[in-house]
This record gives sequence, C-alpha cells and structure tokens, in this order.
Amino acid sequence: MTIQINFDQTWNEELLKRTNDDGPWANWELFQLALEVEQHSIIPEFEGLQAPKHLSDLTPLPHQLEVAKKVIEDMNGKAILADEVGLGKTIEAGLILKEYMIRGLVKKVLILVPASLVTQWAIELNSKFFIPAVSQKKSYVWEQCDIVVSSIDTAKREPHRSIINNLDYDLVIIDEAHKLKNNKTKNYEFVQNLKKKFCLLLTATPIQNRVSEIFNLVSLLKPGHLGSESAFYEKYKKDSRSVNDDEHLKELVNKVMIRNRRSDTGIEWTKRVVEAVTIDFTEEERELYDTIESLKGYEAEDNGAGARSPFSMITLQREACSSREAVYYTLQNMMKKTENPTQEFQDRIQMLGSKIMAITKNSKAEKALELIKKADDKVIIFTEYRATQLYLQWYLKQNGITSVPFRGGFKRGKKDWMRDLFQNHAQVLIATEAGGEGINLQFCNHIINFDLPWNPMRLEQRIGRIHRLGQKKDVMIYNFAIRDTVEDHILKLLYEKIHLFEKVIGDLDDILTKLDFGNMDEYMDDIFTNSNSEGEMRIKMDNLTSMIEFAQNLKDGDRYEAAGNSSIS
Amino acid sequence: MKQQEIHQFLKQFFQANDCELIEANEGYMIVQLTIDLDKELMNRPFYWHYVEKTGGIPNPAKLTLITDPNKAPSDLKGELIHFGAPRLHQLFSCAKRLSGYIRLYENIPGQVNKHTPLRPWLSMNVKISYQCDRKRDIFRSIGLQLINGQLVDNFHQNINKLSLSAKIPDYAFTLSPLIMPKSGMIRIENTIRQTLLQEDHQWAEEAKERWSKDLKLLEHFYEDAEDDRMESLETEKLALKEQYEPKINVSIINGGLFYLASDAV
Repeated sequence: MTIQINFDQTWNEELLKRTNDDGPWANWELFQLALEVEQHSIIPEFEGLQAPKHLSDLTPLPHQLEVAKKVIEDMNGKAILADEVGLGKTIEAGLILKEYMIRGLVKKVLILVPASLVTQWAIELNSKFFIPAVSQKKSYVWEQCDIVVSSIDTAKREPHRSIINNLDYDLVIIDEAHKLKNNKTKNYEFVQNLKKKFCLLLTATPIQNRVSEIFNLVSLLKPGHLGSESAFYEKYKKDSRSVNDDEHLKELVNKVMIRNRRSDTGIEWTKRVVEAVTIDFTEEERELYDTIESLKGYEAEDNGAGARSPFSMITLQREACSSREAVYYTLQNMMKKTENPTQEFQDRIQMLGSKIMAITKNSKAEKALELIKKADDKVIIFTEYRATQLYLQWYLKQNGITSVPFRGGFKRGKKDWMRDLFQNHAQVLIATEAGGEGINLQFCNHIINFDLPWNPMRLEQRIGRIHRLGQKKDVMIYNFAIRDTVEDHILKLLYEKIHLFEKVIGDLDDILTKLDFGNMDEYMDDIFTNSNSEGEMRIKMDNLTSMIEFAQNLKDGDRYEAAGNSSIS
Repeated sequence: MKQQEIHQFLKQFFQANDCELIEANEGYMIVQLTIDLDKELMNRPFYWHYVEKTGGIPNPAKLTLITDPNKAPSDLKGELIHFGAPRLHQLFSCAKRLSGYIRLYENIPGQVNKHTPLRPWLSMNVKISYQCDRKRDIFRSIGLQLINGQLVDNFHQNINKLSLSAKIPDYAFTLSPLIMPKSGMIRIENTIRQTLLQEDHQWAEEAKERWSKDLKLLEHFYEDAEDDRMESLETEKLALKEQYEPKINVSIINGGLFYLASDAV
C-alpha cells in the first residue's frame, strides 16, 4: 500500500547554507546531548500512556488511567466521559489531552466549560498537568494561544464566533455537555460547526434519559454512529425513556461513552453524616405561615381570568419557612406586577405585611448560628432565596461571623474571588441555588440546607460540591425544616421514605431517570397546591414515595441481572 | 528519564553552553547563565533591549534547579525539575535548536612526512513518525561516505566513541567529496523511503479501515439532510481525514559533516 511520506527539507537547505558560509557549527557535547534527549522522548509504541511519567504532582487513580487509555486506543479520541460526580472527569480529560500533546497529535485545543469553572480549569491544567492553558479574556487569545479555556456563552458570541469558526482544532473538550442535549439550540449549532479532530464531552448527568437526548449528543461527537435522524426515530420512539431498554442501542452508546460509578472505583469515600434538624416557629412566624395558608384559594380570583399567579401561596409558604425577608420581597413584587389591584387584594397584602412586621426573630437563623459556633469550622449555607441570603449575611455579621455570598449570577472573576475569600478569610459561604453548580469546595465539610429544594437532584448537587475526591473528612449535612409545614413533609419524604441522604451519589440519578416524572419540582408543586386536604396531600406523597421505591427496586433488579443472577426476574 | 539522568543532563547542558555551575551538589545545582543563554531561556527581551540601548551592565540570571528535594537543602528555593517540567522541555528544545548542524574532524594528527587523509561523511539523525489517529516514532542515524557511497546505519553510535574536534588536526587533510552533500542528502532520503516502503504497514491499513467506517457513518447521517447542511458534511469529512489519514513524517533532528580517518567506521 502507498503511504504518504513527508520528508522535512528545511534542514537540508540550512546545512548547505552553512557549508557555504563555513558555519556556525554546533558544539559536539551539545549535539550528543540533544540526540540523547531525543532518543529519550521517542515513543516507539502506538499503545500505552506516556502522560503519567510527565506528571510529578499527580497520581491518577486506576479508573482514570483506564479511561484515558480506552479513549485513546479503543475510541479513537472521541468519547463521552460520563463518570458520576466527583470521580475526576477533569483529571481524565487532562490525562488524555496531555497524552495527545506528548505524542504530538494535538496542538490546538478549545475547552468549553461553565463560566464559573473557566479559571479553575485553566489553573488545574497548568498546575497539575503543566499544560499552558489560558482562560480567554481578549479576542486575540483564540488565535495566539494554543490551549484556550472559555465559557460557551462567550465563545458563541461575535466577534469570537467567527474567529473560532475559522480555526481548526485538534481537540475540543466540553464540560457539562448534557446542556447540549437539544439540537435546536444556538449552543448546539455552535459546537456542531467546530472543526475538530478529537472530541471529549464531559457530563455527570446520565443521558440515557431520553433517546432523543442521547442521539443529539452522540451525533455531535460522531455523526452517524446512531444512524441518520429519520432512521433513528423510525426505530426508536422519540420519547422512549430509557436507552437501556434496547440492547443494541445500549451497546452502540457504550462504544462512545464511559461511565464509572463510585462503587466500581474501589476508592474509600468519606462518610456522610446527615442530621435532620426540626425547628419550631416562634408564635409570630407561625401566625404569618397560617395566614398565608388561610389565603389559599384566593389566588385565582385575584388574577382575574383564572390565569395562574406566578406567585402562588405555596411559594409564599415556603418562603415563610425561610425568612420574613423572602416573603416581603415576593409580596412587593406581587404588588408591582398586579395591574389595577382590587381593594381586597391590597388589604390582604397589607395584612400579610403587618404579620411580617410583627416577627422579631428568625428561628432558623438562630439555630444556624448555634451550629456554626459549634462546628467552629468552615460552613456552607444553602438557601433558595436571595432575600434570605442577604438577611443571613447581615445576621451573621451582627454575631461576629464572617461570611461571603455566592450566586450563580456572579461573573467568573467574582466567583473565583468569593471562593478564595471563603477558603482563606471567611468562615461561612452563603450560596443560593444557582451557585450550587460548578464550584468545588472540598476544603469544607459542613453544609447547612437552610431550606430544602423540591428536587432531590438539586440537593445532590449541593452535597456534591463538597463530597468529592479530595474531601478528607466525613461530610456533615444539616437539613433544616420547620415543624408542621410543607418543609416538614418534604424532609420526611426525602429523608425517611427514600433515604436520600444515605445513598451514594449516582444511585439517585439512576432512580430518578427510571421514573418518568418529567419535572419533579412541578410534581411536588402540584401536590401541595392542588390538594384540598392534609389527607389528600399525604396520600399523594405516599404514592410518590412508592413510585420512587418501585424505581429503586427496578434498579436493584438491574444490578442482580448484571451480576448474573437471573432468578430475580 | 530518571531524576539521576535529568541531573546529569542539566549539568552537561550548562557546561556545554559555558555556564558556570556556582554550586552543584547531589539533588540540586545553582547555575550562572551566560548572556546568550539568558536570552534563550529567560524570555525577557525588554530587559536585554534596555541594557543594550543604555549600555548598562548586563546581569544574566542565576537558576536554582532542584532534581531531588530530599537531598537538596530544605530551605533552598528553586525550580523542581522533573521529566514533565516545562523548564526541562525548554532546555531540551534549546539543546536541539542549538545543535542542528555540525562539522567535526577525527582527531588523529599525522606526521610531517605522513599526513593523515580524512574522508568526508554526511550524517543525518532522523526521527520517523508513523501517524494516524495514533502515533509512534523510531530513531535512525545514517552516515554516507561521500567518496565511495558507503552507507552506515547506527552511524552516531559508531562515531560516538571517536575523538573528534572542531578544528582540523595538525598534519591532516580532507579528501574532496565525489558525492556532493546535496546529492548525498537525496541518497539518504531515498534509502529511508526505500526501507519504509518495504515495511509492513498494517497500522495504516487499520487506520484506513477505521476511517472508512466513520466516513460511511457520516455519509449515512447526512443522507437525508438538506443541501444547506452539505458544508458541514465537508467540514466533518475533512476532520476525519485529519484524524485518521495514515502518514509518515520524517524529521531531521541534527546531523552534519564528519571527516574521519579511513578505518574509523
């Protein structure tokens, strides 16, 4: 067979020139030294990993090395890395990148990650892998630097977009790739148009969720691997839930996807210690909560033609469990948004306002303060509400405790700064929900869930911030709930019924994907809003619980099958 | 490369470049760079520009390099040098850059009445890289005698043990080449190509198979796509070519002219 042979000619010309000019000539020692070095850096085999030899400060875990090897040797450098949260996907991607660079197969690299992780990626690649990655700040960086880290939102905007589209990348790495599951989005189109030789998609969320999602993601990586769009949907129903239902499809997907589970890695994880903290309202707080309760049912009326109010009473109730400030803020918004409010409506707001004013202290905040003092260590407080976040910052300061806020909306630099402040100067970090994703805080091992999200996955993400590789201590999780409120119900569901907190990360995603709720939030919302009585609510919650239990059993069944025990089915 | 070898390399490298080793003990060394090497390594063109324009006293940097933190003094501040360290790779490429071309004479002085004839050899040390979506390299050192056309493999290994000097020794003279260096290079190139053609290239067959497999999938994927998507089909096809196309790259590490006594090789 004929193979293209490229012979470097530049050396020849230069040698002739130097013979003519009679020099300059190299010194013999250096000449020998250079050859010696070159012989050392020659890699005589196609197989095997060179990268570990180059990494003095990093000892990759066995599963990480295995992933790197598999991606390069069996998957031709195109893969979805879907390890569970906290197993070190960044390390795996870094290993693969390093290996390709050492072998000279990759030079130009684009790394797209969530804005909050840009700096962290660049730092890790530089410090752990000695890869000169640069976080994108100016538009000339795209062309001048070989390895650029950026957020996808920046990259897809002009003038960056056109520059990037004209570049040929050897490797593209995309973190949190599950956000690209919809092929109608701008982000998807942008990534699809990148010129790339090798490609790594990183995601912690299992994408077996819907076949359409997996189809879109795989098509980004390796178009045609799952067939053409029409042929694919002819074969698999678009909404069909689980890829696992079809052996053939599962096999195909596994050719481009690697998913390690915590339990497979054989690493000993630190424990999770979960404590449910039930707190009693003060009389005034209870009064506010009950008043809101009694107003249920007026909502539709206030909004005229039966349009659903964006601020349902259930929202107000949840807020009342958090802080009076949260309720106040929402009420204000309600007033502003309602055109021509009726007198009745205004009266009700007024009444709630006076209840708010009557409240003098926040029972949860007091408990939190007590715990923080007792822990005498770094603590993260998660709350769903901005107003609560602000209040807590003020309250802690009154009591001589330093804290920093953290929100999803912060710019990248501010996020890094806040994280840094927390690590080095402040005792407490107060984060809102959106801040939960994309920040690693394993130097801290206490979490207070000041209020509980209704979607258990979100709780998992919160905990995942600190319970990950690198966490050396047992992780303490305090879940706050006010007795005899919606919160109490939620906590009971999460804590007692589905034993959420005792599970390891990952089990939960599997369970939830088995259920086809769509949106867990909405489901919960529905239970609390549309139940006419306490009894109805309880029954619905019980139903939900048994569904989750059912899914869990299904999953356990899977595991037995995988272990070759077919007697279960 | 082991830490010991790295230590050895550093020492040789700086000595070969006329740098003074202020301290050189087990596990670490402190090196006074020369002006030239400072310019090569320290990446401070503005400083040098400034010094030269103002006629200031140049102050080339000192480097403290640690190869074994356990043996170096614990309070010593310096760069830890290991196989992956950027500094080491900078020195590697610097060594390569500074030593691309050489001309040496075998150091066998003759006598007044019996001058030593030295025969010209052209030597090329090459790295041959087999590349598809993976890559491996081999090293070859070839010498060609420019009078009788004799080809020698492992040439570098052969001359490594000789005493060589940059100046022509006393009472020695060089024979004129019958083969010009330019055609000598072509001969060496052809020799390399010849061996490559005779090799078994199963790796390339396999790469082509992987390539055509992916290509088929790709075409199938775009089968029922509209015309405006054809551009991205082409882009993706090109990307596959980049990824899989087997090719062999031959690059020359260094080489040059050697004048050797008749029984040298």
